[in-house]
Amino acid sequence: MSWLRIRELVRKEFIQLFNDKRNRAMIMIMPFIMMFVFGYVVNYDIKNVRMAVLDYSKTPESRSLIKSFEGNNIFHVTHVVANEKHMTELLLRQKIDVGIKIGHDFASVMREGRTAPVQFLVDGSMSNMTSVRVAYIASILDRFNREELRKLYPVDMSYGKLDARVRTWYNPNLDSQYFFVPGIVAFLIMLTSFILTSIAIIREKEDGTMEQLIVTPLKSYEFIIGKTIPYIIIALCQLFAVTAVAVYWFEIPFKGSFVLLLIAACLFLLSNLGIGLFISTISSTKQQAMMTAFFFILPFFMLSGFVFPIANMPEIVQWLTYLNPLRFFLVIIRDIFLKGVGMDVMWPQYLALSILGIIVFTGAIMRFKKRLD
Amino acid sequence: MKFIRLKAVTRKEFYHLIRDYRSLYLAFAIPLLLIILFGYALSLDVDNVETVFVDYDKSELSRDFIRKLDASPYFRVSALLPASKDAVDFLDHDRAKLAIVIPPDFKKSIGADREIQLQIIIDGSDPSFGNIVRGYISAFVERYNQKMLIHFLNRQGQERIHPPVDGRVRIWFNEDMESRNFIIPGLIAVIIMIVGAILTSLIIVREYENGTMETIKSMPVQAGEFLLGKAIPYFFIGLTDLLIAVLLGQLLFGIVMKGNFGLLMVAASLYLSVALSLGILISNVTKSQMLANQMAILTTYLPSLLLSNFVFPIINMPKFLQMITLVVPARYFIDILSGIYLKNLGIAYLWPSMLVLLLMFIVLTFLNYKMLKKEGL
Amino acid sequence: MSHSNSDSISVTHLEKKFGKFVAVNKISFSVRKGEIFGFLGSNGSGKSTTIRMLCGIITPTSGGGMVAGHDIVTEAEEIKKSIGYMSQKFSLYEELTPFENLRFYLGVYDVPQSKWSERIDWVLNMARLQDARNRKTRDLPTGWRQRLALGCSLLHKPDILFLDEPTSGVDPVTRGHFWNFIKQLAHGGMTIFVTTHYMDEARLCERIVMINEGCIVASGTPEQIIAGACPDKPDADLNDAFIKLMKRNDY
Repeated sequence: MSWLRIRELVRKEFIQLFNDKRNRAMIMIMPFIMMFVFGYVVNYDIKNVRMAVLDYSKTPESRSLIKSFEGNNIFHVTHVVANEKHMTELLLRQKIDVGIKIGHDFASVMREGRTAPVQFLVDGSMSNMTSVRVAYIASILDRFNREELRKLYPVDMSYGKLDARVRTWYNPNLDSQYFFVPGIVAFLIMLTSFILTSIAIIREKEDGTMEQLIVTPLKSYEFIIGKTIPYIIIALCQLFAVTAVAVYWFEIPFKGSFVLLLIAACLFLLSNLGIGLFISTISSTKQQAMMTAFFFILPFFMLSGFVFPIANMPEIVQWLTYLNPLRFFLVIIRDIFLKGVGMDVMWPQYLALSILGIIVFTGAIMRFKKRLD
Repeated sequence: MKFIRLKAVTRKEFYHLIRDYRSLYLAFAIPLLLIILFGYALSLDVDNVETVFVDYDKSELSRDFIRKLDASPYFRVSALLPASKDAVDFLDHDRAKLAIVIPPDFKKSIGADREIQLQIIIDGSDPSFGNIVRGYISAFVERYNQKMLIHFLNRQGQERIHPPVDGRVRIWFNEDMESRNFIIPGLIAVIIMIVGAILTSLIIVREYENGTMETIKSMPVQAGEFLLGKAIPYFFIGLTDLLIAVLLGQLLFGIVMKGNFGLLMVAASLYLSVALSLGILISNVTKSQMLANQMAILTTYLPSLLLSNFVFPIINMPKFLQMITLVVPARYFIDILSGIYLKNLGIAYLWPSMLVLLLMFIVLTFLNYKMLKKEGL
Repeated sequence: MSHSNSDSISVTHLEKKFGKFVAVNKISFSVRKGEIFGFLGSNGSGKSTTIRMLCGIITPTSGGGMVAGHDIVTEAEEIKKSIGYMSQKFSLYEELTPFENLRFYLGVYDVPQSKWSERIDWVLNMARLQDARNRKTRDLPTGWRQRLALGCSLLHKPDILFLDEPTSGVDPVTRGHFWNFIKQLAHGGMTIFVTTHYMDEARLCERIVMINEGCIVASGTPEQIIAGACPDKPDADLNDAFIKLMKRNDY
């Protein structure tokens, strides 16, 4: 194996890549754009739920009920309407998320000691948000009920009440950025290795220089190593950059070991580069390579747990995700950033990444023949 | 514009497309993959949260509490652990997402009408999940407390005490509360953007890189004919993909649109045209396939996924991002899709979004035309 | 056909089929050391396919041969160390400068680094590219790129030089210079194997083989071939011979 040959291949690859000013810009800027978009786009706080009030009762009791919703920062009364039609309009036009309708006999029924119904119209379009909003509505109502009962029956309110001390671990403020920004590293590495590597190889084919290389004493594995090293370097640089921004700008905690992260990244790269190689062997033009790469990236991305939770997926699909290196890498990333655990906890993921990486990469190399036929 | 030249350009583009089996296959496989796989696999609804209990009380009451929680569709009690440190272990190893510790004097305190502390730990690494679970567990505890209070009062007084207010919740638009019902229509927007923009982003670049653009410039082909001829085959592919997506959504998942199919087709054609023009613009600007592809992903796929109200609510985003979403075509189309699929809205409500799409199309086409003219077409 | 040890290249019943299509039809020939050998034929006759088999780019369907003392089927990698190849398309890295292209191939051919600057200077001088060493290859005129491509193939001082249609698209003056240079190389002991469809170039070769539709239709020195094809035409040239021979195969 000649390191000289590999060195020259790598140098040539870098020259080609960074020659074009725009390519340079794209490689360097993409990570930051992604981070800022992902970092700020995602916000799962349950807050600013827009509420419209239709109060036919207009009594101190009904106003008290409305106040209990305004008192917290989850709901926000944005409209007070006078009729159903208006409320319907607001819901249809997506100007409100919840509508509350209080009947005119609200106060009287309550004072009689009976139960007064209150209608809530909830926009169910985004069902995951809806269900938690409904849960909060129930919480607030239950609390309101206890207050009212206390007023109605002024006895010494000492009963077996549960005082729930809720602690949120790993991400105490439920900061969405904590979850997403580290994951971007993974996504970027995937993009770089899939697309850039496969194109790098096909470019030689399309330009005719592949033929020239075949005629030289260059061995297949030297070619592969020479072609993949630049992208390993680029991916690792992106890793550094994203981690730095994550820690210093977004102030995301980094509790674990950076060395472990580096190792995981390299293992992850192995599978990705293998797939990039594979794509280059089944495509004859750059367009095909890019479309095929995209075709792979989609399911890997969507079924990795990055946006859509794996736990929600049907059994078969959950088993399929075991073939997805991104899935394991994401777990490692989050564990290292947020939980600070070590190999003793993470070793299954490392093992999985290694196995996948070795199988995919070796398979791709075997497929890769230096000869044109 | 001469029809015969237009026909020639269109026909050549068709040949390119059809003979490139891989790209063609992918143009249909991608929507199929997305809809089938993701319709089945992707769900944002949170239920059956893996919960573990550490019950130091081990009384009838504490077991009842655990049973009540397990009975809720939102929670799934997967283990009863002997000690707190086991719970910590479970959380660390991702074997549970919620841990609840019942103190040893649970039954005694309730019997003596004393307040008791319940330790609840939520795995917050996934904030979406964490937020939702927090909401669920609060609601559960509040409900439990309310029952406790009513029992207490019933023991004090003679008459039956009723809770003063009862909330009747009616869900509008996505009555069966399946996230699939909004994910799948949303996927349509993503699919069309992918097919429209990513495919087309390469078609003009290809001519530049192959050198055939020189030849085309020397011919009497006009910019308008060139643009149209290139776009037409992909337009048909996009529409076909739309139909496939709609059909699959209906056949496989029972997602039926409440609104007007014709209106959807019109809106989709408009959106598709925007996607195509965007792709062509990228193609014109970059003149390098590798760059075009990366730009396409950055400016079409990611925004249509992240900044379109597909999964992440725009309202929750910081102001500057909300401004950016104003120029994301997918945002308007998802508005329209949600309106037609979930709300049965007609053109009276949807015309503003459609107007914006139309404007985008006009602006993009104008830019494309100007760029080609500058190139000498 | 006898193959002696002074043969640089020898080929026996070499065949290449692409599916049902026979590109090279069991041909046999040999090339002596230091010879300028021409492979003449029209487009699609099997020239490029043959040369690519000799260089180890594609594998023969049947038959075999020896290049630089090694078997083309089993020892292709060994062969590559001693041959240089220049393809029809020149196969240069367009975004790199001539200097960068040369440096790359020096590395790939494992030339010891101590010799690099000397070799680079030699090629740049020979190709008259000293002033253009830092311009992008894609900006150079065709004639210059041809010289650069030739230079790249000579960096490691190979024993045999394979040239596939090296002068396509190049003006006559440059072609003239090119052939002068080739003769010098041959004088120095390098075997030159050239494919071409230019008759006047073929004339400059010591021996040629004419190939049509995968089969050899004539071989020998240019004079022998002309005499053999057009015996009754004293001032016939290769062109005439070529046309006559092609016609003969055309039933």
